[in-house]
Amino acid sequence: MMGADDPNDTTVKEPDNAPAAAADASDEERRATDRRGDDRAADVVHPERVRAAIRKEITADRDADDDPRNTDAQPVIELRDVSLAFDRPILTGVSFEVYPGETVAIVGESGTGKSTIVKLILRLLVADSGEVRVLGNDIEKLTYEQALEIRQHMGMVFQGSALFDSLTVFENIAYPLREHTNLDEDAIEERVREKLRIVDLDPDQVMEVAPSELSGGMQKRVGVARGLAANPKIMLYDEPTSGLDPLTTGTITNLILKLQRDLNVTSVVVTHDIRSAFRMATRIALLHDQRIVFFGSPEDMTASDDPYIQTFLGGY
Amino acid sequence: MALLQRINAAARDKVFSLQEAFVLAWNAFRFIFARPFYGQDVIQQMDAIGVQSLGIVVLTGFFTGMVLALQSAVQMQRFGATAYVGSLVSASMIRELGPVLAGLMVAGRVGSGIAAQIGSMRVTEQIDALNVMGTDPIKKLVTPRLIAALLMLPALTVINDVAGIFGGNVIAKYYLQLPTSLYWATVWDQISTGGFVLHFIPNDFVHGLVKPFIFGGIISLTACHFGLRTTGGTEGVGVATTRTVVTASILILVTDYFITQALLALLPA
Repeated sequence: MMGADDPNDTTVKEPDNAPAAAADASDEERRATDRRGDDRAADVVHPERVRAAIRKEITADRDADDDPRNTDAQPVIELRDVSLAFDRPILTGVSFEVYPGETVAIVGESGTGKSTIVKLILRLLVADSGEVRVLGNDIEKLTYEQALEIRQHMGMVFQGSALFDSLTVFENIAYPLREHTNLDEDAIEERVREKLRIVDLDPDQVMEVAPSELSGGMQKRVGVARGLAANPKIMLYDEPTSGLDPLTTGTITNLILKLQRDLNVTSVVVTHDIRSAFRMATRIALLHDQRIVFFGSPEDMTASDDPYIQTFLGGY
Repeated sequence: MALLQRINAAARDKVFSLQEAFVLAWNAFRFIFARPFYGQDVIQQMDAIGVQSLGIVVLTGFFTGMVLALQSAVQMQRFGATAYVGSLVSASMIRELGPVLAGLMVAGRVGSGIAAQIGSMRVTEQIDALNVMGTDPIKKLVTPRLIAALLMLPALTVINDVAGIFGGNVIAKYYLQLPTSLYWATVWDQISTGGFVLHFIPNDFVHGLVKPFIFGGIISLTACHFGLRTTGGTEGVGVATTRTVVTASILILVTDYFITQALLALLPA
């Protein structure tokens, strides 16, 4: 099923079909809404309705042919047959690759090791077996100091933002610049302002504020700005929308899409939010039972007849 | 069988923890001489560990000196030796009580604070964030605290000693009606008869300054070790804090004995 490309599949492949599909989806959703009052059983699983809704999510933000990844180039991130166990197996034989410019979403149930994959990419954890290559380097063979250097090319947005609460917003975003660049204070301030504007925050309003004084969504955006500060080649997001209201979730998702489009940053997004995943990902990796049971485009995922995938999508 | 497995797991955890503590200590000392040097963090920590502990150290030193003079006076009156209260207070404060009390106070106030701060950073992924941004958390967080504690503990101990000797002076003057000049003469007499290192550094001072230097290392490294090992959310932070204070206090009292033994052998009066 990995990398499934079914040539017979006709579900939402052509851009021309997109408006029609979206209209179908809208009708389907409206009918579903009308029925909701007297048909609570409909909440269980309606694969067609789910597919229609998801098609709408996909087509809302990009065309199916709009693939930003550069498959001619070497993968930026590559996991080959990676296994990891603590007191129980966490990952078994996990393999996937991320090409320059693409956004891969890692989805799955809670506790399936989604965040573990990001920690392996960052070498915050080391795999028991297999190979993790980042920017052409086998990251597990690097010394600790070399790994610190590689990490400077990666920006990370943590689930809880992980902003340093002893520093202001400005100091948080300036931190990687002060640590690893020779920029003077004026250049650092200009860079911080630029990154805050990218994440739609007013620099004059938030720069001198402590992170604890910001809302959850604003903290996430500051986290993104900090991740972007050093102009990384790779952005990693760990549950960027968890714990946020639907509107803020939409804002963060749009932000990730904007970064992909405007800056062409290669991204890996760990999320349990399948709607956001469908909106922003070029490919989706579905983790189940320690393994990747699906790795392919959102369109292929919705078209799949695999019972687990259908149940998983139906759960949303 | 289950019991044996639990014992095995617990023993393994202790051994790993000890190994981690030694690796942490080695790296923290190694990074003192490595770049980048986080000077501003060192100064911040010197303020947090030293300056902000002044109040409790002065207070505990002063009252300990007073109670020491009071208790010894009761005993010494039986032999008509109350004039030597100054000797007893200074010897006890400089050699033992000053370093140990300052160590225990700092372990309680600063050690718990360091463990709570680093533990919170661990559970909120701020330590991971440091790692991700290419900063070694030991270099950034542990080494500055180690340097600050190594420098500030001896300074706090000297202040504690002085406060204690002044406390003894208050009791000598107002309770025992001893002249202040006599009290201070016996204090100096005690210091000078204790012997000298290199003919001018009193042995008492060496005892009193070597110990807090080592205690500073014990407190900062114990707190950072438990802070960095924190797991299990806010409850884990509480556990790390408690473990830090208990472990550091026990280590201070145990190492105090061995340092005293070693110094008495190395620096006979």
